[in-house]
Amino acid sequence: MTFLARLGAPVRGFLEFLGDQGHLVLSTLRHALLLRLDQVAAVLGQTRLQIRFTGLDAFLLVGGTALLLGAVTLIQAFSQLSGLGAENYIGVLMVLIILRELGPLLTAVLVIGRSSTAIAAELGTMQLNGEVDALVLHGVNPYQYLLLPRWLGVLVALFALVVFFDAAALGGGFLVAKLKYSVSFGFYMDSVRQTLSNRDFVATLLKVVLFAGAITFHACHFGLRIRRSQTEIPQAVTKTVVSALVAVFLIDGLVAALFYF
Amino acid sequence: MIELRELALTDPEGRWLLRDLDWLVPKGGKWLLTGPSGAGKSRLLRVLGGVEQPRRGTVTVGGQRLWPGEGAMALLGRLRVGFAFASGGLLSNLSLRENLALPLRFLGLPPAQIQARVEAALEQVGLGAVAALRPHALSGAARRHGNLARILALQPELILLDDPLEGLDSADRALTLALIQAWVADPGITLVLAQEEPSPFAELIPEHLHLSATIPSLETP
Repeated sequence: MTFLARLGAPVRGFLEFLGDQGHLVLSTLRHALLLRLDQVAAVLGQTRLQIRFTGLDAFLLVGGTALLLGAVTLIQAFSQLSGLGAENYIGVLMVLIILRELGPLLTAVLVIGRSSTAIAAELGTMQLNGEVDALVLHGVNPYQYLLLPRWLGVLVALFALVVFFDAAALGGGFLVAKLKYSVSFGFYMDSVRQTLSNRDFVATLLKVVLFAGAITFHACHFGLRIRRSQTEIPQAVTKTVVSALVAVFLIDGLVAALFYF
Repeated sequence: MIELRELALTDPEGRWLLRDLDWLVPKGGKWLLTGPSGAGKSRLLRVLGGVEQPRRGTVTVGGQRLWPGEGAMALLGRLRVGFAFASGGLLSNLSLRENLALPLRFLGLPPAQIQARVEAALEQVGLGAVAALRPHALSGAARRHGNLARILALQPELILLDDPLEGLDSADRALTLALIQAWVADPGITLVLAQEEPSPFAELIPEHLHLSATIPSLETP
């Protein structure tokens, strides 16, 4: 009986978490549809702030990481495949490793580290200061003012960052290919273009949409649950990172299985 | 305006603060909520505002069932509520002026009217000069007046004030008292004010709910 109770508690907690996530997503969508034209400016103002923090402020970090990753991927590939005509597989390697998988995944990991932690901490602090209560008490819909702009902001920023990550990684890869095999830019890009398909674009887009939802709503869930003390904030941030990472890897696996298995 | 049926409240540790409270406040009614620290005054105000769920009982405000239900979300777009917090309550990432304007934007007022209402409210509480500052840059008294200015700008139908005089010097108390007197004189406003001691509001607001231990007593003139 004790064993069953021990087994049941985390299962119940997980189901409650899933239920809360579903509630947050559906409520945010429902209240987004109820948004009036005269309220849009306030929501867009918050969305712009989120895009700036999640997207613009992270461009250097994402660009640098992608450049190095693109370069290192081709260095390692060439070191293993030298003599086998590795230069002919440049496009395949870059598309399979970077554009399909590591681009969206690593960008999401970086956004989790920078932005989902910030969202959880910010919402938690707002809860403790009574700011969330003040909003709803004075007629400001928290789904429209707090959750929707963060979701939209992370979605737009993540999409832009994934595109930038892929471009920077391709740039890093090209530098190595140029230095090692004197590959021309035209040959390099043709090789990438021949391997890329519409399916890759659709899969990446789906990943971005799902990743953005997971990153935002995990952060909102744990941030808004803070009620009593400042000591809850670091706990909420840690939980956000762990659960958002698990969700992102799960989504990545599911999308890969759906599109390429 | 406010109807409570068999309301029960507990503190975070689960101790009973209130049990089986039935309370009716008509539209335009003014009530003073008194009791010692920890008696549940602030908690009851938050329940009335729909941001805290009672242990049991029903809460109806402005004809909308808050509890059991979705709390303050039920009032959005239906009833204008002004709440002066004992501490905090202003958004830390907005200036004081933006804090006042935000509820009016969601109310759907035109920009010119929002600006006029906000500037008038700021001038009335003497905060025009610091309106561009964020709450952390303001004094404690200015933050409390900022809460009152937000109520002034919103022109709500229901006002809930939590210990509005606490920590204010004589000049700030006089300003706050003048605002409350004006709200009490307005028949269109329903007001509930929580304060440890009835003084100095006892004469101004004769209807009185005293919270002590677990059994509240209603005192009416």
